Amino acid sequence: MAKEVFYSGCAAAAYGAKDARVEVISSYPIRPYTGIMMELSKLVANGELDAEFVHGEGEHAQVSIAYGASAAGARAYTGSSGVGVAYAMECYSPAAGGRLPCQMAIADRALDPPGDFGSEHTDVMGARDQGWIMGWAESPQEVYDNTIMYYRIGEDHRVQLPQFCCQDGYFVSHIPGRMKLEDQKAVDEFLPPYNPPHPLDPNRPVNHGPQIFPDQGSAINVQRAVAFDEIESVIEEVVKDYNKQFGRKYSPFVDEYMMDDAEIAFFLQGAHARTARFAVNHLRKQGVKVGVARLRFMRPFPTKAIQESLSKVKAVGTVETSTSYGGQSRGGNIIHETRSALYPLDKRPIVTSFMAGLGGEIVTLNEFYAMAKVLSDAVKTGKANDSYWMNFEKEVLDTHK
Amino acid sequence: MSQEVYEVTIWARGVFQDMEGRHASLLMANAADLGGKFVQAWDDYADLPDRVGVPLRKYVRLSDEEIEMRFVYVNNNPNLVVIMDDTIVKGMNILRGMPKGGSLIVNTRRTPDEILAFIPNKELLANIVCVDASGIAADAAIDFMGSEGGVEVASVGAGISAPLVGAASKVCDMFDVKNVVKVAANKDGVQKGFDSAQVKAL
Amino acid sequence: MSRFIIPKHLEVPLGAVLPAPVKEQPGMITGNWRTERPVIDHEACTTCLNCFIYCPDACWHLDEKTEQMVWNADYCKGCLICINECPANCLEPVNELEFPDGVVRLEKPF
Repeated sequence: MAKEVFYSGCAAAAYGAKDARVEVISSYPIRPYTGIMMELSKLVANGELDAEFVHGEGEHAQVSIAYGASAAGARAYTGSSGVGVAYAMECYSPAAGGRLPCQMAIADRALDPPGDFGSEHTDVMGARDQGWIMGWAESPQEVYDNTIMYYRIGEDHRVQLPQFCCQDGYFVSHIPGRMKLEDQKAVDEFLPPYNPPHPLDPNRPVNHGPQIFPDQGSAINVQRAVAFDEIESVIEEVVKDYNKQFGRKYSPFVDEYMMDDAEIAFFLQGAHARTARFAVNHLRKQGVKVGVARLRFMRPFPTKAIQESLSKVKAVGTVETSTSYGGQSRGGNIIHETRSALYPLDKRPIVTSFMAGLGGEIVTLNEFYAMAKVLSDAVKTGKANDSYWMNFEKEVLDTHK
Repeated sequence: MSQEVYEVTIWARGVFQDMEGRHASLLMANAADLGGKFVQAWDDYADLPDRVGVPLRKYVRLSDEEIEMRFVYVNNNPNLVVIMDDTIVKGMNILRGMPKGGSLIVNTRRTPDEILAFIPNKELLANIVCVDASGIAADAAIDFMGSEGGVEVASVGAGISAPLVGAASKVCDMFDVKNVVKVAANKDGVQKGFDSAQVKAL
Repeated sequence: MSRFIIPKHLEVPLGAVLPAPVKEQPGMITGNWRTERPVIDHEACTTCLNCFIYCPDACWHLDEKTEQMVWNADYCKGCLICINECPANCLEPVNELEFPDGVVRLEKPF
């Protein structure tokens, strides 16, 4: 039976993993994702989930355990936050290159210094180019749904890739929200057991991750590129199925709010989209034609969907929530790929970026109002800077007041 | 932000009151939810709930419309403050940010006047409610598991949270004692808390 | 000229390097963790220094002038290990609200 509950994002991820019937779980504590493993360990201890629960001696070990379990044919689950995500960096490419569809739950956290446990997307964005599927959820409900959907996307034989199932630390992971846990039978129907291409079999031994010669490297790389060419249609299929089965309304790649007649738009991923929508409601009352486009997948970066969505407006502001020090925009990450995606269009909007939501700072309504002003001015003057650091540059000062 | 949001801050002590503190926030939220309010209930993110005795904050926000300030970490202007252990009045400025006319609920065997002696900014209060919640209901079992973004699968409001929230409903009109009784595990405790609370108007 | 303006309330030392505490850490007062405090009977105390040795937060020390043990109200967390370790039974736990002193009343816990 489906059940209405009041769960945090951490619990939502744990119950998503439970309903996905994960078989091997590897854990190591770090805030804020710890709650996921605490819930899962309870479920395993109480006999509600039949899974191996393995304590890693660090995040590097955690992902290695998930790698091994996935190679043996199990549905594997792990997770981390912040510096833990960074510590496991070595293991990401082997899992993706070995085409092992384990899942890693991320409740993101700022990297040091100093020891800051607030939300920032920088930790796992650092691993975005390793061949993992990656996207942010906005609410506990979406965390639960993504956990289940990602397994089906990743385990599809056209894809065979591991997944970072991300949520904002604290904002999603620690604030409970009303959500629905689906009926186990219905989830089983949607997500069949993992059918590994090389199940562990003493009669058919295989060798994972062998050493190769340098001239063979590109052929391995191109396999992942092939998968990312296929993946968008798989995601569309899976999201459509999920919506149909469970009555959700997810768009596969870009979640739009009041975009149809918008002149300017906020483009962002994660929890702050909620505040952005409230800001849009208030700004619309003052006659500002503004909309929100929320990115649901960072990898694959959905070029076509972004072109369709953002070409409707005259100016776009990406809200970065992660850093790319010394990058082209001297700000964050999303703007670079957004601009690249829009470049081939004949009629393309002005694209600028706002450095907000860093180190766990909330993005307030006032900050969104200041961004809207910069974007409206950009429509009038036809230009904008590459990046604006909220509260630290003259155009966007004093939004705390 | 001009939205009318009723804020509650609950002060509890680390480890032995962590779960009961969270249950108090959940009881208020669930009861107000039954009464048709928009609610939010959550634990403070910066506190250290796994250290014995450390002052902890649990929060509730209640409103007649959807709450816009969901991500703001703390309740800066609590209308209602609940103290699960009376000695916290010496350790924290518990009324910090309270708009004039607020309420204070204290779990204590002492009288309102004895508690007020430790509160320098009592002019902010419209009333103080003292209730011997620990006497009515023993502390529920200590749960080391639920602190980090976890959830309550067991019954909510079996220990001291029940009489405390029952007493709070005497001065707070955002949730009704009947609804608190409906959502709490220790229904008797809620009623006893409501009945035995000493209210002193200021 | 830098494009950045750092507002006063957002200033941070370069690299987040802070001065370290020498004796006590005023940024981490822990006296408010306490519900009961150890009260000493100086007549019965033999100044064996067990409390000094066992206190996890170094909240007991011997004042050499008066030859009496001195207790630190700002940092004692009320764990009462000293009472457990006192061989002279000269320490006793008393509820904190019995005393008007020892008020910390922090504005924020952290």
